[in-house]
Amino acid sequence: MARVLRNAATAAVASETPTQPGEIHLRLDHVTKRFGETPAVDDISFEVPRGSFATLLGPSGCGKTTTLRMIAGFYDPDKGDIVLGGRRINDLPAHRRGAAMVFQDYALFPHMSVEDNVGYGLRVSGVAKDERDRRVRETLEFVGLGALGDRWPNQLSGGQQQRVAVGRALVLEPQVLLLDEPLSNLDAKLRVQLRWELRALQQRLGMTFVYVTHDQDEALSLSDWIAVMNAGKVEQAGTPWEIYYHPRTSFLADFVGAVNLVPGTVREVRGDEVVVAFGERTVTVRRPSGLALAAGREVRLCVRPEALALRPPAADPDGFRLPGIVARRAFLGDLMRYWVTVDGREWIVDQPDPGAAADFDGPVTVAVKPERIHVIAE
Amino acid sequence: MRSLQREPGVLLALLAVVALVAIFIVYPQVRVVVTPGGSYTEFLAGGTWMKPFVNSLQVMALSTVSAVFLGFVFAYAMVYTDMRWKPLFKVIGILPLLSPPFVVAASYLLLFGPRGMITYGVFGQTISIFGLGGIWGVQTIAFFPFAYQLIADVLSRSDARMEQAARNLGAGPWTVFRTVTLPLSRPGLGAAILTTAIYVLEDFGNPWVVGGQFTVLPTQAYSLISGFGDFTSAAAVSTILLALALVLYVAKVRLDGGRSFVTVSGRASSMPRPPVPGWLSSACFAACSVLCGMIVLVYGSLVVSAFTLTFPVNTTFTTSHFAFIFSGANGVALRNTLVYGLAAATFSAPFALLAGWLVQRGTWRGRGLLDLLLIMPAAVPGLFFGVGYVLAFNERWLDWLSSGGLLIILAMIFWNVPVGYQAAVAGLRQVDRSMDEAARSLGASSLRGFRDVLLPMLGSSLRVGFITTFVRAVTTLSVVIFLFTSGTTVATIRIFQLVNDLDWGGATAFTVADIGMAMAALGIIAVLARGRVALGGARA
Repeated sequence: MARVLRNAATAAVASETPTQPGEIHLRLDHVTKRFGETPAVDDISFEVPRGSFATLLGPSGCGKTTTLRMIAGFYDPDKGDIVLGGRRINDLPAHRRGAAMVFQDYALFPHMSVEDNVGYGLRVSGVAKDERDRRVRETLEFVGLGALGDRWPNQLSGGQQQRVAVGRALVLEPQVLLLDEPLSNLDAKLRVQLRWELRALQQRLGMTFVYVTHDQDEALSLSDWIAVMNAGKVEQAGTPWEIYYHPRTSFLADFVGAVNLVPGTVREVRGDEVVVAFGERTVTVRRPSGLALAAGREVRLCVRPEALALRPPAADPDGFRLPGIVARRAFLGDLMRYWVTVDGREWIVDQPDPGAAADFDGPVTVAVKPERIHVIAE
Repeated sequence: MRSLQREPGVLLALLAVVALVAIFIVYPQVRVVVTPGGSYTEFLAGGTWMKPFVNSLQVMALSTVSAVFLGFVFAYAMVYTDMRWKPLFKVIGILPLLSPPFVVAASYLLLFGPRGMITYGVFGQTISIFGLGGIWGVQTIAFFPFAYQLIADVLSRSDARMEQAARNLGAGPWTVFRTVTLPLSRPGLGAAILTTAIYVLEDFGNPWVVGGQFTVLPTQAYSLISGFGDFTSAAAVSTILLALALVLYVAKVRLDGGRSFVTVSGRASSMPRPPVPGWLSSACFAACSVLCGMIVLVYGSLVVSAFTLTFPVNTTFTTSHFAFIFSGANGVALRNTLVYGLAAATFSAPFALLAGWLVQRGTWRGRGLLDLLLIMPAAVPGLFFGVGYVLAFNERWLDWLSSGGLLIILAMIFWNVPVGYQAAVAGLRQVDRSMDEAARSLGASSLRGFRDVLLPMLGSSLRVGFITTFVRAVTTLSVVIFLFTSGTTVATIRIFQLVNDLDWGGATAFTVADIGMAMAALGIIAVLARGRVALGGARA
């Protein structure tokens, strides 16, 4: 009985996948989960469009993994609804949800060969041996492990194990693939390589991925949509571009990449522009949408280090200029990072391609285009 | 709770486990404590239990101290030195675990009794060896190997890296042991001492055979039933015994669950321990040789007696004792031992594993209570357990239970549940939850995931539960002593009866056969598992 239902569900999903781009596939509605007194996930809501690569990003303990595990069915939410493909799944047991999961430690079954690992879900759902073998073979080819079917998990490298874990979940053609920090156990180089593979895989399949990570580079490079979580709440959700350039809070700006956050006060609001005073200076920047600002409001100016440039002290660049003194610097390979003291406050400035650029020391001018400055209300 | 409603299979399994625990663990024990009849309180008021009570405490204190001391010496030597003959010592140290503890008393009589090989044969003396001194000596020899296993387990889990670090910081071997090893192992050692005390306290066979007029609580309970058929008074005595055992057990659990530093690292063996001085190794070697010599003497005399006409008077070789024990009712008893032991182990180990899974992986309310109930039989003296089964199930409409031996099997199963249960929980802790979750996210129900993924990975837990249950089942006397009928005797009962009848040839031949059965089972499992097997009974 269960098998029949499950097969039908899988088949239905497979056939309806390509329809209606932009349709909401996964929705969390005021979901709360407590462990004891403290809420691990505190009244969060978000929507994930079908076929998108959605990422939950946040520091450890922010509730992102708890959220993923509620979607998978390993935890019951205390409040709120989880809706997948138009159906409320709160009361479905984990094995009926059609939400396959890739675990941080891969959780490959050590007593089964690679083939048996990948074929396990098919065996459970009663797929006949011939078809099972065919689909396992195809999946192994698909993830680039065609020749390793008869190996054992402990004979594989970390990257290969990771691919088995992904293949084992994909072979079921799940409604949604859940990935819990799947790259965090790999070394840096492989992590970046597999990142692109995952992204390519997701786009080829058009499948909805929900991905959990604490690595902002990973989140920015992989995702169509990111929800940044902190202390059990979603701080902000949106495209990587929005998250990076238009963070809504200082926490967000600071968590996603390096940033200069300079406290200031609103002097005047002029239509689309706002004049902000900081220290002895004022700057006119674009007014962020959806943010009510009035004169006297405390704000922070948020500007990314790579949006700043260093010039010789006497130069007169276009845009805004801040005279300062280089306090220290660090060579990071692809860029040179300077800490420049301006009016007693340190600014981080990244200079790309240090090999081709001039080397600065002592007095300098920090140049910034006002349109690169983003205002955060505090 | 909600997760249970969604998976009726798991709910059903849980209800089955709870029902079995309620019927076969909780109910019989409740029946002993609240036995109907006024003579229960009358007996308690009478105070005839005071003397055995004091005796029990006295014997427990003496035997525990001496057994733990010898066990500690043996364990230290095995874990810390690189003396010669370690593998041999190890094998000899396991031997007593595979035998009914009370056969030490039988051997003691053979060696030191009125016509004993040493006292009479060598020195021509007939001294009285019965009483407190006899029990003390016999229990020391019988239980120091148990203490050794427990202590060696604790010591070997202490992290060699920390000892190396202390040596690196300039501490000598003795300072390291005093300031690092001992403080880290203290909770474990305390638990080992208390566990040994429980074994000594509930020992029935040894005090019965060599105690003479010196009565302890288990022998008093037995006399009350076998002599007077007074189950009510025996229940009162057993309850006192249980209360004592529970006090020890609760203290042990608190130590165990408390600051157990030694289990922090799972890969403590990755580094060799710092070497100990040569003279210490030599001293340890001498001590172990003496201790193993005693064990060999005890069991050797049993074997010699089994193959000689009337040891030690007439040492003509004979196989007539074995012909005797393989024939007629004796043969039935041997067969029963094997069948009951196998049946108990076959059911108990998987049952304990399932229960361990339900408790360890579950999220439902009340699993703390079930956990407690599943471990409780470890604290219950065998005699108490047996009395409970008599009081609970000795009903006319349940005759079919006892006549076929089913009642004995049930008692063996549930008395040994803690062994398999603790092995299962320990095994499950080694398997990350993501394993079962992976199975579930791939479409397997919880039960299916348990079967396909966890069960194959928990083979060693299952083996520990199986072999330990089997060994304990074929070597227990106190659990079955009230449960057998003429058709359902087992080896330990027959040994006990033959010792009482002073039929030494038959008794020792039976003992050899019984130990042989336990050794064969351990050997077969060891071969099947390619050597990866351990006895878990000492840790229950």
